[in-house]
Formats: sequence, C-alpha cells, structure tokens
Amino acid sequence: MATKGEILVIDDDPDFCEIVKSTLEADSFSVRCASNGPQGLAMMRKKKPDLVILDVILVMPDEGVYVSDEIARDPELRQIPVVMVSSIVSSDLTGHFPTDQTLHVHKFLDKPIPMRTLLEVANEFIQGKAE
Amino acid sequence: MEDRLPFGSELIDRVGWLINLRWLAVAGTLLAIGPTAVWFPGSLPFGTLLGITIAIAAYNGLFRAHLKAIRRTLLEEVQNRQASGSALGQIILDLCTLIALVHFSGGIENPMVWFLVFHIIIASILLPHGTSYWIAALAGALLITMTSLEVGGVWAHHHLPLLGVELYDEPLYLLVFVGGLVLVLFLVAYLTTSIAIRLGERDRELMTSNQTCQLRSQELKELNDRLRRVDEERTRFMVLVTHELRAPISTIYSALELALSGVASAEKTRDVLERAQKRAAELLDLIRDLLNLTRIREQTTTRDQAEEVQVDDLLREVAEFMKVEAEGKGLLLEVDIAPDVAPVQALPNQIKLVWTNLLSNAIKYTESGGRVWASLTQDDEKVRGVVRDTGMGMTPEDLSHIFDEFYRAENARKVSPHGTGVGLSIVQRTVEHWGGTIEAQSELGRGSTFTFVLPRADR
Repeated sequence: MATKGEILVIDDDPDFCEIVKSTLEADSFSVRCASNGPQGLAMMRKKKPDLVILDVILVMPDEGVYVSDEIARDPELRQIPVVMVSSIVSSDLTGHFPTDQTLHVHKFLDKPIPMRTLLEVANEFIQGKAE
Repeated sequence: MEDRLPFGSELIDRVGWLINLRWLAVAGTLLAIGPTAVWFPGSLPFGTLLGITIAIAAYNGLFRAHLKAIRRTLLEEVQNRQASGSALGQIILDLCTLIALVHFSGGIENPMVWFLVFHIIIASILLPHGTSYWIAALAGALLITMTSLEVGGVWAHHHLPLLGVELYDEPLYLLVFVGGLVLVLFLVAYLTTSIAIRLGERDRELMTSNQTCQLRSQELKELNDRLRRVDEERTRFMVLVTHELRAPISTIYSALELALSGVASAEKTRDVLERAQKRAAELLDLIRDLLNLTRIREQTTTRDQAEEVQVDDLLREVAEFMKVEAEGKGLLLEVDIAPDVAPVQALPNQIKLVWTNLLSNAIKYTESGGRVWASLTQDDEKVRGVVRDTGMGMTPEDLSHIFDEFYRAENARKVSPHGTGVGLSIVQRTVEHWGGTIEAQSELGRGSTFTFVLPRADR
C-alpha cells in the first residue's frame, strides 16, 4: 500500500507510540517507533523520515531537547520537521523548559493529542514537503 | 563602672555640650562684671575677676581643641577614656575657678555659689557613677576652705556691693549656710546618681530588647527561608506528579478516542483498549502510592499514634503473600528471621508497606531462576531488615538517585515501563519518619541489597 509519508515517533511510552502509530497508519502514513533519543537518532540516520514526533521527557528529563539539538546540528537531518509533544508544554510550567525560539522544533503539541489534530499536523507537514 | 558611661560618640557629644555651656558661662560672667564695675567702681577687684574669666575662656578653648583630637581617635575605648578624663579635668577646673570668682565677688554672699550644684549634676551625667560624690566632697571642701580662710582673715573678704547686710558678721548664719549648701551638694549627688543609674538600666534594657528583636528577626528570616525551600520542594513535587498523572491519562484518552473513531481494525481497537485498561490500573497504583507518599511527606501520622509493631510478623505476612508472585516467576524467595525480635515504634501498615515495596521491587527486577532473600536481625539498639536479590542491579548513577521521587533506573524502565518511581521514596521517608535509616548497595548485573534499621521500642 502506498503511504503518504514516513513518520518517526520518539517516545518512551510504548502505549503512546502504539496508539499514534495505529491512528496515523489508519490515515495511510507509515510509522516507526523509537523508545529513546539515541535509538531515534540512529533510526533517522539509517532512513530519513518525513516527520519526527518527539516527546520532551524521554528517559532523561531533557532528552527530547537534546534530540532536537542533534537534529539541528546534523546537515542530513536538519530539513526534517520536528513536532515536540509533552504533557507540560501548555501548562503553567512551560517556562521551566526552553522555548520554541531556541529549539529546532516546528510545532509544539500537548498530550493528549486529539486524533484530528494529529492527523492535521501530519498531513500539513508531509504534504507541505511534497509540494 | 566604666561600662555605665555613655557610649563613645555620645560621651564626646556631651563633653562638647559642656564646653558650649561654658562659653555661655563666660559671657554671663562678663555681663555681670561689666555693669557692676560701671555702677559700683572700685567695690570689687574687677581686674582679677576679668582675669579669671579670661582664664576660663582660655582653658575652654584648649579643651575644645583637645576634644577635636579625641574625635579623631579611632579606638572607641580610647575615645571613651580620653573624653571621660577631659570631663573630669574640666569639672575640677570649673569648681576651682567658680570658687575663685565667688571669693573675689562677695564669697558666700554671692548667689553664684549655688552654681556648685550645677557641677554635681554635670558630673553625674558625664562621669562614672559615684564620682559625683567625690565632686560634691571637693566642692564642699573648697567652699568650707574659702569661707574659713575669709572668716579667719587669711583671705580678704570682698563685700558684695548690692548687699546691705554683712553676712560675714553672722558666724552662726555662715555655719548654717555652708553646712546647708554642702548637704544640698551631697543630696543632689545622690539624686542625680540614682537617676543616672536608672537611665543606664533603661538603656541596657532597651539594648537587650533591641538585640532580642534582631535575633527574632533573624529567626523569622531563617524560618521564612525554610518555608520557601519547602514551597519550592512542593512545587517541584507537583510538577512531577502532574507529569506522572497526565502521561497515563493522555494515553488512555488517545486510546479511547482511536477506539471510538472506528478507523482502526477490530484487532487494533482491542489492542489499544487493553493498553488503556492496563494504564488505568497503573494509574490507580500510582494514586495509591502518591497517597501513601503524601501521608509520609506531610507526616500526618505523628509519633503519638505510634504503637509497638512486630516487624518480624509483618515480614512473615508480606513474604507469604509475595511467595505466590515469586514462584510464579520462577524465583526462590527465602526469609530468615532472628528469634525474639524486639518491636519498633511505628504504624503497622507503614512498616508493612516498607516490606511490600522492597520485596516487590526485588521480585520485579530479578530474572527467572534468581533468588530473593529477606532477613531480620537485631542488636542492642536496633532492628535491622535486609532485602537482597540476584537481579539486574543498577549503575552507581542510578544508585545515587534511587530514593528520589519518580526516579527510575533506565534498566528498570525496560523491565517495567510504567512503575510509579515513588515506592522507594515511600520506604525511605517511612523509615526515617520512625527514626531509622535505609541504604542501598548495588552493582549492575549483580543484584541489589536494601538495608534498613529502626530503633527498638524496648530501648
């Protein structure tokens, strides 16, 4: 089956990965999951995805930030859009984390991501790239 | 005595005030001499009186210069001593010059003789308490000497021109007057010294209460700092709790949304619903643990509620319960309890939770075929519980954070992705709450040992 594009989900919560995967696959995206930063980066370098969905807090509290920095530093990966997901992004405690101005992040989403938003964002970034 | 003096700069200021007053005295004397000399020429030795007044002005100038020098002295103690010495010198000189002025202008006929009283007051203010009695004695002696010498004809008596009667012709009056004045001098010395002592006491009381205030304010500041730290700690805890609660709820929400949308296959739908159910169960565990942790953190259980707890009975009970889980996983669970273990002061449920958390961790993180031991011993002071396993162990980095709230070792996450990360925090806080300590030893791949001690209730 032809896919709209490939998405890499980096999150240490396997249930979250699985649900996002099922949701996106139902809309004809191809999805791979990584459970930590280094694994995600390795998978990206092996095969470049069209979009990365990245959790802020992986095994370490700022591992997501580290991964986005790594993506920005790597000329091969720099073009890949990054959507950062967290349970804290929209809360009052957002200030405890770096803002989008300093991060290589194209969009912030807050957990739980409504299905419609997830699909809209995936389509927006991947179709925008295809055009 | 020295400590009852006014303090450094204050004493200097008062000596300066005495010097300024003396300028007034000089001016007043000149004002008295001038008109008298005009209206009653030749009646008194005006030249001598003027000379004495000029002498007073001269030493006043010298004392003024000396005081300026004292002000420049750096050591407060030296300043105090010099200012005090200067004041004593000035008062003695003043007494002498006053007696001289009085002698050349009528002797005790001159009302200026009452100014002696003024010097006693000055002495009480400026000099150490008690000195004013000596000044009163000196003033009295000078007065008696002057009067005696005048009556005896050794010193010539200069009759005051304003006065019609010649008081020196009335020896009884002279005796009563001089005696009365000397008595007044001592009375004034007594009164002013008492007042000065009372004032000094007030000063010290005020200073003490000032120091107490400063101390209190320091204590308040420290209390405030401590409260702020507690508040920061609480905020940090809330951030962690919020995250820990939102993560599973988000997953459950997304799972339900996907299932309800009907876009996924029946098989997928069942899978995500099972995941949601599992997360909901874990969420309930987390809430239970958080409740326990909060109870311990807030120390809502006070020592008054403590009872004598048999730690050995609780270990047997928990081990019995855990045995099923351990055997199901292919683990050997062994329990070794010393005879007649003394009770500890605690709450049974909390101690049970300590054993449950330590044993369930050991079982969870030990592979099939491994072993878990729990032992309980005691010495003269303490009861010692140990839980050891042959499990995965942890790195020194993980070991240093193992009692932190929500901290989970990386390898532990792989085995059990959604553990709450507060179990060991609960254990540590519980043990410490009841006066004990806990420590962990571990090596990656070589198992872990948790050892806690609690004070014996019978000691």
